[in-house]
Amino acid sequence: MTAASAKPMSTSSGEPRWFRPLLVWRVFAAVLLTFALIAVALQRGIVLDGPVRWSLLVALLGAVVGAGIAIRGTLQKVHLGRFAGFTIDLLLMVVLGFIALNRMGMFTGVDAVGEAFNGNAAWLAIVILGWFVSGFADKAGGNQKILKQVAQWTMITGMVVLTVAMGLIPGLIEFATRIVEGDVILFAAGAVIAGVFARILWSDTAARLFKTTQTEGENMDGMLFVAPNVLGFLAFFAGPLIVSLFISFTEWDGLTDANFVGFQNYIDLFTDALFLKALRNIVIFGVVAIPLAVIPALLLAALLNSKLPGMRFFRAVYFLPSIAGVVGVTLIWKQLFNSTVGYLNYMILRVTEWFNSLIGTGWEAPQPQWISDDSIALIAVIILFVWQQIGFNTVLFLAGMQSIDGTLYEAADIDGAGPWRKLRNITVPMLRPTTVFVVATSTILALQLFNEPFILQAPSPPSGPGNATLTPVVYLYQNAFQEFQIGYASAVAWALFILIFGITLLYFRRSGDEGVLTS
Amino acid sequence: MKNKLILLFAVFALVAAACGGDDDSADDGTDTTAAATETTAAAGEEVALRWMTRPDNPEEAAVYGDISDELSASLDSVTLTYEPGSNEGAGYQQTLLTNLSAGTAPDVFWIPGTDVADFASRDVILDMREYADASGHSDADFYEGPMGHLTTDLDTGQPGNALWGLPRDVSTFGLYVNLDLIAEAGVANPLELEANGEWDIAAFNEVVDGVAALGGEIRGYGQSAWWGPYGAWMNNAGGGFFTADRSACGLDSDESIAGLTALRDLYSGDSVIPYGEDPEPPFRAGTVGMFQNGRWATPGIRTVDFNWDVVGLPEGAAGPGNWLFWGAYVVNANTADPEKAWALVEALTEASVQAQISGLGANIPSRVSQEALDAFLTFSPPDNNQAFLNGLQNDPSTEGPLWAGSWPEFVTLMDSEIQAVVTGARDIADFQANICTETSAAFGG
Repeated sequence: MTAASAKPMSTSSGEPRWFRPLLVWRVFAAVLLTFALIAVALQRGIVLDGPVRWSLLVALLGAVVGAGIAIRGTLQKVHLGRFAGFTIDLLLMVVLGFIALNRMGMFTGVDAVGEAFNGNAAWLAIVILGWFVSGFADKAGGNQKILKQVAQWTMITGMVVLTVAMGLIPGLIEFATRIVEGDVILFAAGAVIAGVFARILWSDTAARLFKTTQTEGENMDGMLFVAPNVLGFLAFFAGPLIVSLFISFTEWDGLTDANFVGFQNYIDLFTDALFLKALRNIVIFGVVAIPLAVIPALLLAALLNSKLPGMRFFRAVYFLPSIAGVVGVTLIWKQLFNSTVGYLNYMILRVTEWFNSLIGTGWEAPQPQWISDDSIALIAVIILFVWQQIGFNTVLFLAGMQSIDGTLYEAADIDGAGPWRKLRNITVPMLRPTTVFVVATSTILALQLFNEPFILQAPSPPSGPGNATLTPVVYLYQNAFQEFQIGYASAVAWALFILIFGITLLYFRRSGDEGVLTS
Repeated sequence: MKNKLILLFAVFALVAAACGGDDDSADDGTDTTAAATETTAAAGEEVALRWMTRPDNPEEAAVYGDISDELSASLDSVTLTYEPGSNEGAGYQQTLLTNLSAGTAPDVFWIPGTDVADFASRDVILDMREYADASGHSDADFYEGPMGHLTTDLDTGQPGNALWGLPRDVSTFGLYVNLDLIAEAGVANPLELEANGEWDIAAFNEVVDGVAALGGEIRGYGQSAWWGPYGAWMNNAGGGFFTADRSACGLDSDESIAGLTALRDLYSGDSVIPYGEDPEPPFRAGTVGMFQNGRWATPGIRTVDFNWDVVGLPEGAAGPGNWLFWGAYVVNANTADPEKAWALVEALTEASVQAQISGLGANIPSRVSQEALDAFLTFSPPDNNQAFLNGLQNDPSTEGPLWAGSWPEFVTLMDSEIQAVVTGARDIADFQANICTETSAAFGG
């Protein structure tokens, strides 16, 4: 950690030994990044097409600008130079290291690690046992030093044997062989150098040299701590998100060069009957399914919150649908919904027969075509969604209820309030933050509906009879992966994102205005 | 500090162990995630090729893996890696398209027959004619229908001298028949009717009505609601989706409408599984007399506990008709070594390899080879495997791409309208008058 003082730190009398190499590295890294930028821009050496190329260009441009700022700041010995240089070095270390490992085929070897673990589970068990015993010795206190030492040595021995059994020796030889192959050594060396300079820039000496204040130092520490998460977010969420935004402004089939078409895809959405139908379907779905997934969950949670016998069992039972795999569950419901051999219609038939025999009527049992009738196909999807969602929402409400101060209920008991009154006047108001969260998450899940119609309708098209089960995500899938219209599909995705974002923002803003989220 | 060192050691040990694992691709030092490059390997140099095909079931995936290992050992200077393509999170088409977009697609991969035009016109796959001529390949060794599409010239949109790949396998429709229900209903056995040359639409309807008359949840017939099953009815009536040269919509022809009318009439009563419902579960539950599906459904049907067999589709007004379904192995335009990739395609479509796959019962060899067909015919039940082969002989319409339009767009537009007609939501006269205008967008209209 940097131990900077509250005031700007004074520079040392002379430049540290690493300063000149750092300057050289700064310039070298900037030149390297500029070359990479030119290579991608001119398609020389690094031949990429479409949005991937544009995304890389933007990223490299940012890196070159950052490298320039780092050089200037390093020469001036100001904190900006330290911060920009540190960021560039950190990113270079990760990116170059990733490339080196990938070119060594390391990521495909992860499967081999899994297999090796399977074959040496006994040694792994010894390691875990040693860890547990070591922890136990810590907690037990007293004179448990010998036990702790034995446990630690057992753990270390187990680890060594495990790694050797897993192939450490041939692995080290293979590692050494591959790292010197072709360009791998260059990427690995680049990653190591960047890592070394990042470490130097994080030191107290660097903090003093670059006149870093305590606040700036703490900010930098904080940023370093969140860096892994931020990098993951950038690589796996924000990056693809930005790429998809770019793609949405193009006409692109995913196979050939993209043509920039501006807002045309978005304009087309407004006149696309199928997209509008998908929007209509999802709005109807949301309006019906969300209350059905939330209100019964609240009542169920109130019931499960009681101290009646067997409640723990029922809590688990109601939660099961939400942890079951959506594909398996949907396939089961598909069988239940079958209009000729499904249990749902069979139940309707038997109930009607029982009713007829009871009161002497001759009513014919309705046999709905749950999946193939366009007037009720969406209802089938709603039933399935609600069944899956209720359990999860119930658990959330239950957690919310258990955090309500018990003295409120005791006071209500003294005042003579009954269960309904307590639910209405204590439980529901106190649960507002939970309710906002439950409604928001249910809404997001509802608007992203895909798996249920996709599997329920198979082998027919997932859009269902008369496009009754066509949802925006199903439409997105059809455009992207069946009609090769990735650009248009991205526009659908962004339209959906805006809708979800807008609704969620509305929920939270309204709740924020009412002080629900801060109460 | 000690804990940090132990942690560092553990992480490094795991990374090193990954290097020392027995993963094939790791051992040979190849990067299986790398894109196919544009450099050609020197003669005799070991080349690593990746290939991908969609198996119908886990058993097939295992056999493809074994075949890959065998070919890897037998092909000269080639190391193969097989990828099934799909997993729990993504289907085959998603995986393939994503890999192609990212430039990481395998050297050889399978695509449905309907996608050939899309891939060829976008320069994603190679024209292999040059390599095929050099290897002594003959187009005539494979069924004519798929080869017509696989040799289509990009400029003319008609069969020419190109070669976009070779068909992996073929399939046709048959009617899976519940013989117990047929006997219980006391109707004529469709297999006997077919043997006597009396298996036409009228006889089919009699069997359907006869079985449905058993009452309760029993139905006479079921088909799924996608283009294959209803298309077969149009084919049997002498119609089809397109004009003869496949350059325009043919859904409004009198023959196509006749086939569609027959289907609509069938679905207007209660004798069949409602259109849009999956008919396979009730068939397997023993409540459906006849279930129309392809050869790929056979392994699943074998689990039922009633007597069953397969009969061909009934003859329509235009005589016997069917579909010829197929998919093809094609070569990635960015493959490292087109010559060796072609050798792999040829090896994968050899009679002995096709015999191994068809021995599992899900599809029919695409090579016109007695060895492969013999292996296919050994898979029993059903007793009447010949029904599927008859479908190949009786002038089937070949599934295929649109070289002058967009097949996926056409199907999306067509599916919902056909469903509307069959379920009575749309008047068939209105359909005939307007459907080709409505689907003209698929032809750039």
